[in-house]
Amino acid sequence: MKKKILVIDDDLNIRDYLVSLFNDNGYDAYVAGDVKEGFNVAKKNKPDLITLDIELPGEWGPRFYRQLSQDPELKNIPVIVISGLSGHQYAVVNAVASFTKPFDRDELLKIVKETLI
Amino acid sequence: MGFDMFKKILFATSATGASDHAARVAFNIARSYQSHLNIFHVMGIPSRGYSQVVVDVKTKEHVDVDEDYLAWVTEDIKTYYEKYLDESLDYSIDVAVGLPAREILRQAKNLKPDLILLGGSTGDEDESVYKKSSVGSTLQKVAKSANCPVLVVNRPAASFWGGLSNIVFGTDFSKTSDKAFDFAIKVAKALDCELSVFHALDITALHAGKMLSQDEIEQQIRESLRKIRARYEPRLKELKGYSMDVWEGIPFIEIVKYARDKHADLLIMAHHSRRAVSEDIRLGGNVEQVIVRAGCPVISINK
Repeated sequence: MKKKILVIDDDLNIRDYLVSLFNDNGYDAYVAGDVKEGFNVAKKNKPDLITLDIELPGEWGPRFYRQLSQDPELKNIPVIVISGLSGHQYAVVNAVASFTKPFDRDELLKIVKETLI
Repeated sequence: MGFDMFKKILFATSATGASDHAARVAFNIARSYQSHLNIFHVMGIPSRGYSQVVVDVKTKEHVDVDEDYLAWVTEDIKTYYEKYLDESLDYSIDVAVGLPAREILRQAKNLKPDLILLGGSTGDEDESVYKKSSVGSTLQKVAKSANCPVLVVNRPAASFWGGLSNIVFGTDFSKTSDKAFDFAIKVAKALDCELSVFHALDITALHAGKMLSQDEIEQQIRESLRKIRARYEPRLKELKGYSMDVWEGIPFIEIVKYARDKHADLLIMAHHSRRAVSEDIRLGGNVEQVIVRAGCPVISINK
């Protein structure tokens, strides 16, 4: 069965890019544009990995991570931070990795692959 | 939102990249709580005595300060923060010349803010003018002497602020800590936050030379927890949620770890002003260490 990745980002271009990147590499991708939607999609689809933007409309990415880590069903889902903000590397403490936009797709895919073994 | 604890905020900034993460928090707080934000910039240090020639903090050039130059700097700051400034934000900009800590404290004395907000010591180059010309850091001096709570955002990671819901209060059971607790509980109550009271049992300094057994450590943890209960719990019960914990270790490390574990948005601690200002913030006291390392903004209260 294909592994599922949830992309949380409010930038449509990034979202489309990541979705096609993940689809082309054999993953199922879901999308959400903010923290609330992200949480609902995560609850419904139980993704195997989440990519998370930091600056989102309304609540920010670290808040999403807090909610996620407090949910017994979702707390172990690995999170990769992908953000354009400087200094975001440690904004989500238990993230698997952090990427700054623009990022190296091969590097991202490598980490996704390693994480989803 | 009717919240009058941060009605007036003094945001001391270099208006350079070094203050960017503090700026993110400053503008976010001002907007969330409809505060008046005074953007205050100490633009340079007189190069000789009371000379009007100063070393500009941003450009590091020697400049003559006159009305025109001050107006130009004010305009420059406005441009720097353009993306944050709009009609809905109540703000003012002031520029001063002198030693940063002294000028910030002077401005605080005049303005009587509810909160002073400072960027951290990032050690990058645009701070070098400050560093060269003052003993110790601006941050330490302001935190030590200010008459109001001082909020510091040091690491960029501490600046991803999405509002307040979890506050951690670190106590050492001192009188100043009790003051800091009063402040913490007021904020927690006004903003409907959960408050976690934490004490770090210092197993390094107190018992130097003697290794405590785990039974002894856990006995002391129990005693500290009883102390927290007796001292703080009656008032904690007024909040929607609270917790009380004691961990053993190196205090500043444990506090930073605890705040991370609790996903804290804000850490509140007492600053012990009776202690001397140390030359280097990295060798400073426990609070300084927490300020430097925390993954969220830290408010220190000294009196």
